[in-house]
Amino acid sequence: MAVTPSPTPEPATQRVGGLELPVELLRPAWGDPYLDLDDYDAESDVMALNLGPQHPSTHGVLRVKLFMDGEVCVRAVPYLGYLHRGVEKLCEKLSYANVTPIVDKNDYVSPMMNELAINMTFEKLMGCEPPPRAQVIRTIVAELQRVASHLLWVGTFCLDIGGAIGGGASAFMHTFRERELILEIFEELTGCRFHYNHHTVGGQRHDIPAGWDTLVKQTLDHIERRTFEYEDMLTENPVFKARTIGVGVVDPKLAMACGVSGPVLRASGGDHDLRRDAPYAAYDRVDVDVQVRTEGDIYARYLLRLAELRESIRIVRCLIDDIPEGPICALKAVKLPGAVKPKPGFAYTAIESPRGELGTFVVAGPGKRGKGGPNPYRCKIRPPSYHVLSLLPYIAPGENLSDIIAILGSLDPIMGEADR
Amino acid sequence: MIVDHPDTAAWVAERFGWQTADPELGPQVPADQLVALATALRDELDFAYVVYCVAVHYPAEDEIQPKFKEGEEPPPVIPAKPDRCLVTYRVRRLGPGTTTFGFHLWVPTGETCPSLVDVWAGMDWQEREQYDLVGVVFDGHPDLRRIMMSEDWPGHPLRRDYAIDTRHHPWR
Amino acid sequence: MSISPFLWSVIVGFVMLNVVMLGTAFLMLFERKFAGRMQNRPGPTEVGPNGLFQPIADLVKLLQKEDIVPDKADRGLFNLMPPLTVTFTLVMLAVVPFSENILVADLNVGVLFLLAIGSIQIVPVWVAGWASNNKYALLGAMRGMAQGISYEIPLVLCAAVPVIYAGTFNLTEIVEAQQGWGWFLWWPPGPGFFAFGLFMLCALAEANRIPFDIPEAEAELVAGVSTEYTGMKFGLFYLAEYLHTFISAAVASVLFLGGWEGPGPDGWWWMMAKTLGLFVAIYWARWTLMRYRSDQLLRYCWVYFLPLSLLLVAAAGTWTALVGLPS
Repeated sequence: MAVTPSPTPEPATQRVGGLELPVELLRPAWGDPYLDLDDYDAESDVMALNLGPQHPSTHGVLRVKLFMDGEVCVRAVPYLGYLHRGVEKLCEKLSYANVTPIVDKNDYVSPMMNELAINMTFEKLMGCEPPPRAQVIRTIVAELQRVASHLLWVGTFCLDIGGAIGGGASAFMHTFRERELILEIFEELTGCRFHYNHHTVGGQRHDIPAGWDTLVKQTLDHIERRTFEYEDMLTENPVFKARTIGVGVVDPKLAMACGVSGPVLRASGGDHDLRRDAPYAAYDRVDVDVQVRTEGDIYARYLLRLAELRESIRIVRCLIDDIPEGPICALKAVKLPGAVKPKPGFAYTAIESPRGELGTFVVAGPGKRGKGGPNPYRCKIRPPSYHVLSLLPYIAPGENLSDIIAILGSLDPIMGEADR
Repeated sequence: MIVDHPDTAAWVAERFGWQTADPELGPQVPADQLVALATALRDELDFAYVVYCVAVHYPAEDEIQPKFKEGEEPPPVIPAKPDRCLVTYRVRRLGPGTTTFGFHLWVPTGETCPSLVDVWAGMDWQEREQYDLVGVVFDGHPDLRRIMMSEDWPGHPLRRDYAIDTRHHPWR
Repeated sequence: MSISPFLWSVIVGFVMLNVVMLGTAFLMLFERKFAGRMQNRPGPTEVGPNGLFQPIADLVKLLQKEDIVPDKADRGLFNLMPPLTVTFTLVMLAVVPFSENILVADLNVGVLFLLAIGSIQIVPVWVAGWASNNKYALLGAMRGMAQGISYEIPLVLCAAVPVIYAGTFNLTEIVEAQQGWGWFLWWPPGPGFFAFGLFMLCALAEANRIPFDIPEAEAELVAGVSTEYTGMKFGLFYLAEYLHTFISAAVASVLFLGGWEGPGPDGWWWMMAKTLGLFVAIYWARWTLMRYRSDQLLRYCWVYFLPLSLLLVAAAGTWTALVGLPS
């Protein structure tokens, strides 16, 4: 009896860049942002609108020149550099221990991440490992910072959609009220509400005060209850859904090619998180449950960030109860500039910041008598917001102006980081 | 055909013949083979994610004759080095077991480096930034203009000799 | 001594104008405090006891600001539009009766007059956006124009429902037709309720209030139509928007909620209570909801509101044809 072989089923996923992505998410090609409109003809039907550096909703000073055909965008050209402060050049003149407060101001929304990234690279150059207590404190503090950053994102995103005078402002005030509690936690720990200068080469500068873990646990309980309030306000809100579902879909292949990771890639189906895949600090002790969604639109990114918020709360709760005893810094006398002199070499480390892969590439230069120099030779910060903004020329064409604002908000660019 | 080679440096050495000295920098690639390596990495080894493209400026150095005592063999002269830039790249393969792979090339001042925009779309802005700040010209980039500094800014700020002979004083 | 009707109209008009303008200023303060409490903060508290003199402070601030007219803007039109917007809104006030006697003009075509002036009111806003020579203002003006003329139609049709029930365009007679508890909101049963709801939504859209405030969406258009306006001219635009909302609330109370009648003695206090109640509901919605995108707005208007309001008019007409007018 002849047996007809069953036809081989079409593969449901395709391997791109190391990730197995569902085939229906991968679009054939994306547009060319350099196509035509080289000279802007003032008499044509296309209007050049400057979403200028001063604008109530461009998340910092970002200028986007939109070429609009009525309300629909035909081409978008972002211009960066309005917040360029020469951080990388500054780092070349500062000693390794003094770089931290400068780098704090890059991603000014989550300063702990910047500090962590750069100090991890310095430690790699020095070849020293922070003690276990410092690793756990780093993880706790990073996850608390992620909660604060996502809370801020929810608030400012509602401002973008709902108006600074209007419903958006209400959501904004509520999330900032919760963020204040986290800033109080950090104030207990480091003395500063913002821009902490807490990490240093080899560990931390400040040790946990007594009663800090109780404060953290109480605050997290409170914040977790409030996240259900935000869900009530926003997740089933028909206006919110009408503005965000199906808007601003990002192709995961494009995201990867542009160097975008973090919530934008994960909402588009890319299952990649450095905390799970390349663990640093104390992430190997916790099981990070990486949230992934496949729709790729703004609503998916919103749900993802809310889920990540809850996941971060869970991670902190796992770690806060068994912080190992011991020193908090592997090197003594790091306060003196010039005490840290790594051998000449190159190093790159990356962490998962709330926006994606935040990495630092540091070149340690030669100094006197064969040892390393007291200053980095070249310090390159690889900001996730820079790459996320490079997506804009590809995804903006064809969208309404209102949608472009919403998309820009949902991509979560921080200009301090993008421009450095 | 996608290969999941555990040791990318060994794969590159086998395919192209370039050895890796520093694992962070990766193999040194001749300029005319850069696009070929990049395409192979993307298509065969599935490195589809751009991490960075960084240019580091090394100013010209004179010939150094190391000191030696009387009667000893004179140690070899360290040759003079021209004004050059080190352009390093790094790409990543995502997913569980994510790895990065770097490669680099040396670009003497005055020469251009081929652009990798056609291989990875993210190299576009990275190369613009390195052109703007360090002064490396990327050959084949569709829109090489300044991104951080204003369009008419003179000089390239992240060069090591900047703020010495320009009228822009250092911050101190 | 009997006062001639003309003199009475002038006196009432003068008093009403002042009361409404001052009242709106203090309503703005009340809204800010209300919004503050919704957002876990107290609202203005510095100026005066509990912030009571804040409107005066705001007025003085706006008056002393520098008056900037953009270079290439059409100067005459640019300067003319803010007072014109306020004027048209205040003209609508002339036919709204606050009680049997407190009324400036007892027009037999009161409702028509209101709707007509309401639709002219879109024009100064649009011209202001054009005259500013600013692309953001232009976008806001275009959106405002599209929204305004689209939402006119369901607004007129929903306002036609009480007109059909009462059989007259005269606002005083419409209120009298709702004597007792026969408010058009719930009697005749059915169409009045939905007409009220749609009327309020269309009034929100006409007044550019959230969730329909795309023409002045701050996140996108900086300040929309009023981007280039400074000082008191900017203040006049916002005053006009508030006044329009207030008057829409007053008109809705007259048409659907029985005007100045209520349990106990009838009078202007009931009218004020109903108007203020609707006004509070409107800005409660403002501080809670986010805004729709302009094409979604227009779609809701043409696809949902318009057929529904046609149905309501048909239902109201059927009732009146079968049952007759109230005696």
